Amino acid sequence: MKRLSFILSLLVVLSMLLAACAPAATEEAPAATEEAPAATEEAAATEEAAATEEAAADLEGTLNVWAFTNEIRTMAIAFEGLHPNVDVVYTMIPMTNGEYQTKVKAAAGTADSPDVVALEAAFVKEWVEADLLADLNELLPLTEELKTFPSVVEVGSYEGVTKAYSYQATPGAFFYRRSIATECLGTDDPAEVQAMVADLDKFVETAAKIKECGTGDYFTVGTPGEMFNPFLANREQPWIVDDELVIDPMVEEYVKFAKLMRDNGYESQATQWSEGWFAGMNDTLKDANGTPKKVFSYFLPTWGLPYVLIPNSKSDSTDTGGDWAMINGPMAYQWGGTWVGVLEGSPNSELAKEFVKFVALDEENLTNWATGVYTNDYLKAIDPETPDDQAQAPGDFVSSQVVVEKITSSFDGSDLAKWLGGQNSYAAFAQAAPNVNGALLTGSDDAIQRALNDPLASYLNGDITEAEMWTQWLDAVRNEFPDLLIPEPPVTE
Amino acid sequence: MSLSKFKRNYYGYFFITPFIIGFLIFGLYPVYNTLALSFTDTTLMSKNADFVGLKNFTRLFADDVFMNAVKNTWIIWILNFIPQIGIALLLSAWFTNARLKIKGVGVWRALFFLPNLLVPASVAALFFAFFSFYGPVNQFMVRFGFLPEAMHYLQSVPITRGLVVFIQWWMWFGQTVIIVMAGMTSIPVSLYEAAMVDGATAAQMFRRITLPLLKPILIYIFVTSLVGGMQLFDIPFLLTDGRGSPSSSIQTNNILMYMKFASSKGHIGAASSVGVLIFLMTSICALGIFYFLRDKDNSEIDKSARRFFFKKKSA
Amino acid sequence: MFNNYRLATNIQRVFAYAVLFILLVITIVPIWLLIVNATRSTTEIQQGLSILPSTHLVENYNILLGKGLDLPRGFGNSTFLAVASTIVTVYFSMLTAYGIVVYEFKGKQFFSNFIVVLVMIPMQLSIIGFYQYMSKLGLTDNYAALILPLIANAGGVFFGKQYLESIVMQDLIDAARIDGASELAIFHQVMMPLAVPGAATMGIFAFVASWNNFFNPFILISSLEKYTLPMLVQTLRGDVYRTEFGAIYLGLAATVVPIIIIYAFFSRYIISGIAIGAVKE
Repeated sequence: MKRLSFILSLLVVLSMLLAACAPAATEEAPAATEEAPAATEEAAATEEAAATEEAAADLEGTLNVWAFTNEIRTMAIAFEGLHPNVDVVYTMIPMTNGEYQTKVKAAAGTADSPDVVALEAAFVKEWVEADLLADLNELLPLTEELKTFPSVVEVGSYEGVTKAYSYQATPGAFFYRRSIATECLGTDDPAEVQAMVADLDKFVETAAKIKECGTGDYFTVGTPGEMFNPFLANREQPWIVDDELVIDPMVEEYVKFAKLMRDNGYESQATQWSEGWFAGMNDTLKDANGTPKKVFSYFLPTWGLPYVLIPNSKSDSTDTGGDWAMINGPMAYQWGGTWVGVLEGSPNSELAKEFVKFVALDEENLTNWATGVYTNDYLKAIDPETPDDQAQAPGDFVSSQVVVEKITSSFDGSDLAKWLGGQNSYAAFAQAAPNVNGALLTGSDDAIQRALNDPLASYLNGDITEAEMWTQWLDAVRNEFPDLLIPEPPVTE
Repeated sequence: MSLSKFKRNYYGYFFITPFIIGFLIFGLYPVYNTLALSFTDTTLMSKNADFVGLKNFTRLFADDVFMNAVKNTWIIWILNFIPQIGIALLLSAWFTNARLKIKGVGVWRALFFLPNLLVPASVAALFFAFFSFYGPVNQFMVRFGFLPEAMHYLQSVPITRGLVVFIQWWMWFGQTVIIVMAGMTSIPVSLYEAAMVDGATAAQMFRRITLPLLKPILIYIFVTSLVGGMQLFDIPFLLTDGRGSPSSSIQTNNILMYMKFASSKGHIGAASSVGVLIFLMTSICALGIFYFLRDKDNSEIDKSARRFFFKKKSA
Repeated sequence: MFNNYRLATNIQRVFAYAVLFILLVITIVPIWLLIVNATRSTTEIQQGLSILPSTHLVENYNILLGKGLDLPRGFGNSTFLAVASTIVTVYFSMLTAYGIVVYEFKGKQFFSNFIVVLVMIPMQLSIIGFYQYMSKLGLTDNYAALILPLIANAGGVFFGKQYLESIVMQDLIDAARIDGASELAIFHQVMMPLAVPGAATMGIFAFVASWNNFFNPFILISSLEKYTLPMLVQTLRGDVYRTEFGAIYLGLAATVVPIIIIYAFFSRYIISGIAIGAVKE
């Protein structure tokens, strides 16, 4: 009896499941599609209403903004300062292991959907290509006024519709330690050092010199991972062409190069963004024996200077400020950048558009942003609860050529220039920015590139062969993009 | 006013109704919905979804990724379960052994159980910090001469998998000890006394009395551990990069499911198909074991114990 | 012969204590190092291991707060969620278990077997369907999605049934009926007070389960202000905090220490509770 009822209860569970499943699966799809037009109608209605009211009253309302860093919060506070009736609710979710990307995706189209989202270069295209962001073409005339770098607009556009704008342009650079250059290369002059790292072959020669000169205690780079972006920027083709994954020769080049750096001990083996990688910036890197190690250089773009390198150049006991210089390095490249877009169906779409306009296309805001106007005092006067590290240090490179031309000379002799031994980073970035090419970005870059991290690390470490690395990576990509055509792995020796 | 006994018993339905409603809404419907989704190509990034039949399932078997996750999950579970149950049997035998008189049994047990209560996410993050390249384990191993130079622990397949196994064991052996011990103390002492009179050795008694009488408890431990083990997520997810690295060696079923959910387009249809298969696999294993081994326990064990003593007695 | 026996016993005892001691070290050392490191500065941590606490606790806490990691809020969220989960689990599990134990209704045996089956089914694997369903109901990013399902907590009912079977006194229930108490009132006023020890044990388990849960909130909760402590741990591992090791350890310790404190007070309940589900069935 006991046994019988046990079986019965089992059967009931299973049959309930099976009986219910088939018909409803088909029911669901139409229900889901019906939601879309309703949402846009609603948006259109509120738009009209807002547009008529705009002239009469200042902006008001509550705006939900989601981002993966705290940068835009600074601008949000400034925005609240200009429009006292606006309340920006700011949510920061870190990008670790793709957490931010997943959360925004999961929230879009639901009741919890934010009004404005920040999108990083590695996945902005995915959003621009999908149908979740609102059309922001009406803001395009402003990009002409401000002479926004064309590549920045291009990245935010798809099939003639611009959906996201950025306040940054992000050309890359090569930052090196002047003291090590003098000791090992005989000079710290940027032009001469640039000649020593002008291409990859010369770069490797220089790396050998630095290793020898430091008797193994100097590394040329923290990790070759920093150099992935320079290699990617010099590809012929994007990752995906006609629904097929493309393994550009530069990707294979990069793998070879990274292996060479590892096998010869030219890099510290620290993982990018890990404590060891940061420690190299302020000379506190020690190996497991406690022997101090030094890192000669870092590949970082515009934002890397104010957000990564400078804040990490100080420790309790060390300060490497003033000992740095910047040059172009072996390859021109760009890396990262933050775009902002408005989610389709946002009940505050007018306000959201105003916010995007302020963040990316407002001359005064961009000037304030780049020149260090947004200090703690400035922000606390608007919102007394502003955290202490919210101030925006001068030096982030903005997307408007009008602003760039206007403010470049103000960095001569500034603290920022002193940190770089007298160089004006803004002038250097202004030279590099027009070379940036947005055409190589696709919506799938983030996922494809992240899938390579682990197989590559295992290969560099000698745990798997190169062939195994390619197979593991392609398997992971296939798993992520079930509909993508995957080519045969590259032939290895 | 008193109800007749018959009528009053209808109150049983009244008391279990909230559970049944809660189960239908929050238990059964999600299972059904997962199953329904697994036949569609629903994504988070698009509002359209089509019925695609078994495509999600055939794709899972088209490459090694899914079977690799299943394999990893089983390996990790088996490798931590065996030492877990082994240590539990050994410690319980010691703790209940009247001859050894181990002092402070309650305190030992309480301390061994402690790791079970810690937030698994924190435990994983802790071990990640300990075993990072510039972390304390490398400092210790190199400075005391156990290793010639620092190594990337979390890039080594055997070490990383071993760590997950160790953490799982570390978190669960204390609980297993407590359960096994409770089972051992419930075995009547008279059985052992009778066996001792017959001159049985400790090993014989363990094999012929303790183990058979512990069977229901061991099955309980086995089944609950299996169900938990098949859903392993927190520890391997947070120990490396959330993809089960290195070389997908700690990519468990649940991590794979999450990766499909969190993939570029948010393929929740494909994620559901992983959930459905694991659900079926685990349920069949757990219920099968439970059903075939457990239901006949009492009679069987009584019989075997009786047979044992009668034989001895008559011999 | 007798001496040999005694000697063997002594050797075995020494061996047993040695094994216990090793296990103890394995159990305690990681937890101890975590707590110690939470009080040390990043520089000290990078210099090597220490088994003694240092003096940088407050400093580490300020670093955590300064980085915008709102530990107190995560703490509050986790506490709220755990308390609500505990109340729902204990009340509804006891209610259901009471129904099974006290009344003889048709299908009772079936229902109680059904509970056992549910305990052994990995319901968590339907999380994707659950997620999508909650998102349609507008309940994602809402604690209700984490609390309401506990109305049907099979593990709780199973435990409650085992416990109530050992304490239900039909005489007391009958006496209350004669006094004219309704069936529900009997449950509330007669049974619940009697069942407090069992309810406490179940409550502790429900609390810890909710406190430690990472997967479900990780999928269902999206806004940072609603993050629970284990979810904040995941962000702790993230990019922003990596240079501040002391602060990371402090963040981890903050998730673990409250549970250790609860345990120090209630370990007796917890340990006796673990076996209830297993032994009696």
